[in-house]
Amino acid sequence: MDLSPFEANNSFSCRLASQIPDVCRTEDCCLGVDEAGRGPVLGPMVYGICFCPVSKKEELKDLKVADSKTLTEAEREDLFQKLDEAKSYVGWALQILSPNTISTSMLQRTKYNLNALSHDTAIGLIQYALDSGVQLKEVYVDTVGPADKYEDKLSQRFPGIKVTVRPKADSLFPIVSAASICAKVARDRVVKGWNFAEDLGDVDTEYGSGYPNDPKTKTWLLKYLDPVFGYPQFVRFSWSTAQTLMDSKAVTVHWEDDDEDGEKAAQRKNNRSMLSYFSASTEGNDHNATHQTHRFFTERRLKSLDAL
Amino acid sequence: MAAKKKRAPNVQNDSWVVIAADSAIHTQKHDRDADFVKLRNPSTDAACLYMLGCGDAQLYEVKAFEEDFHSWFVGQTVQRDGRLVFVTPMDPLFLILPYFIKSGKEAKFQPVDQVVTDEEFPACSRLLSCTRSLASLQHIAEEKEAGSTKFHRYSEEKTMNWLKKKVERTVVALKRRNISVGEGVKSTTYVRVKSEPDSHEEDYLRYAHGLISEYISADLSRALLKHLELPELLSPKETEPPSKKRKLSDNPVEAGEDYTKFNSADFVRKPPKKMTAAQKTLAKVDKTGMKPMSSFFSPKVKAEKN
Repeated sequence: MDLSPFEANNSFSCRLASQIPDVCRTEDCCLGVDEAGRGPVLGPMVYGICFCPVSKKEELKDLKVADSKTLTEAEREDLFQKLDEAKSYVGWALQILSPNTISTSMLQRTKYNLNALSHDTAIGLIQYALDSGVQLKEVYVDTVGPADKYEDKLSQRFPGIKVTVRPKADSLFPIVSAASICAKVARDRVVKGWNFAEDLGDVDTEYGSGYPNDPKTKTWLLKYLDPVFGYPQFVRFSWSTAQTLMDSKAVTVHWEDDDEDGEKAAQRKNNRSMLSYFSASTEGNDHNATHQTHRFFTERRLKSLDAL
Repeated sequence: MAAKKKRAPNVQNDSWVVIAADSAIHTQKHDRDADFVKLRNPSTDAACLYMLGCGDAQLYEVKAFEEDFHSWFVGQTVQRDGRLVFVTPMDPLFLILPYFIKSGKEAKFQPVDQVVTDEEFPACSRLLSCTRSLASLQHIAEEKEAGSTKFHRYSEEKTMNWLKKKVERTVVALKRRNISVGEGVKSTTYVRVKSEPDSHEEDYLRYAHGLISEYISADLSRALLKHLELPELLSPKETEPPSKKRKLSDNPVEAGEDYTKFNSADFVRKPPKKMTAAQKTLAKVDKTGMKPMSSFFSPKVKAEKN
């Protein structure tokens, strides 16, 4: 697995893929979708697909691919090696969603939540397989959110393909287990050798599992909190763990779409009370009644100063 | 999602982001550095910040672009206020004019340094060192020379003509810059792409007059409007009907009704007034089993035992 395209710029989302086996272009194929790194506050989320001809399903079983969570890291590396050796009939593709992509998606003005991001990534990968000429007939997906809704969404998106969405699909269908191994191996490697875009000097790589409840991760997060910038791009800013720490330890930053209410905010924004539109104006009440700055200046947000 | 953030007051900072012409801060030629000074704003009559260029040769006005949610990254530091200060050349005559109007009431010819003095803003005398000042006094005052000294007297007629020229030149500038002057939707976020074809000459004149009015007193602004032969616009506030609130008066407050008449013997209760629709519906409600409100406040009547 060559991770260099992602490592060259780990700010963005990146797709890695194996060669498409020739059999997959001619024979009916099945495809499994799974993800790794959904929960951690650190590092990327990796989506993986694996596909093989329906007729080769049994051979995949013989590789003893199993749910990636039940395996040790060494066992996973070993299984990935086996999958790679079976490239005459097994293909895979990965979408690495960088932590920066996750942060900017979830925190942008029109919020794009993790479920939507996950669904769209899965759809993108299935579409990639179709575009590459893989004769897809069956798709197996581990669920994100309610299974039947997700299944309907995928079935509508890909008419003519039998879509099965199941919780714990990675332990039920070998092709999903295979996808899960690809995704997990990629994430492990990326996290282990993370290239920090920021100049942090000798970075302490003892960040543990990256899950919010890991004490090592917590210590690391506290250590690398910058009062102005917050965190390196390795951290998912949209995670409440990161946000809580930034709220308490870093400088407060105000954004235009912050939720703000109350009279003070209204006053600051120069909002008028609804009532003021109904009553006749009371002369002299308005401080600026005598002098109103010309709209040339107000439209350009220009004002005179009485002190610097 | 995020907790409500508190807004800390913007503390005074010791650096600013300023855009200024090189000429304003060029220090080699003169012994005196450029200097921020407080002077009387001719439009608001309040203290306002201006800048005098090196050697007081030129006057600059100081305007700040200020909008919420802005900050600067300056080198390796963060500047909290996203303020952008503009230092732009300004005709010193606008600031000198109010002093001439004030002394003009005496209708005497006076030397300039007697006219332009202000206890509150002593820096105002420095305005006279500006290269343009003395030469341009003829636009607002009549001159008399006696020996080597010049004497001046404010002239409203000259001033009006001078201001009219300013307005006309502003109109030219507005047209050249394609600045939209028509009464359209006033939005700060919409950028008007093209100047509206129906912008008439009057719109331009009115807009320019408004801009010039930022630099002169309200009285002068009205006089200028007349001089430009533009009808005064009524603000929507003035066209509204008067408020229905009762006017306060200085007369002693008296009871609207004489309640003592209820005590007299010949007092007869008036028949009950017509009930409102709401009262009627209330009256129709089935009240069986309901105690009157007053029963809750009167002493308890011991229930009789059967």
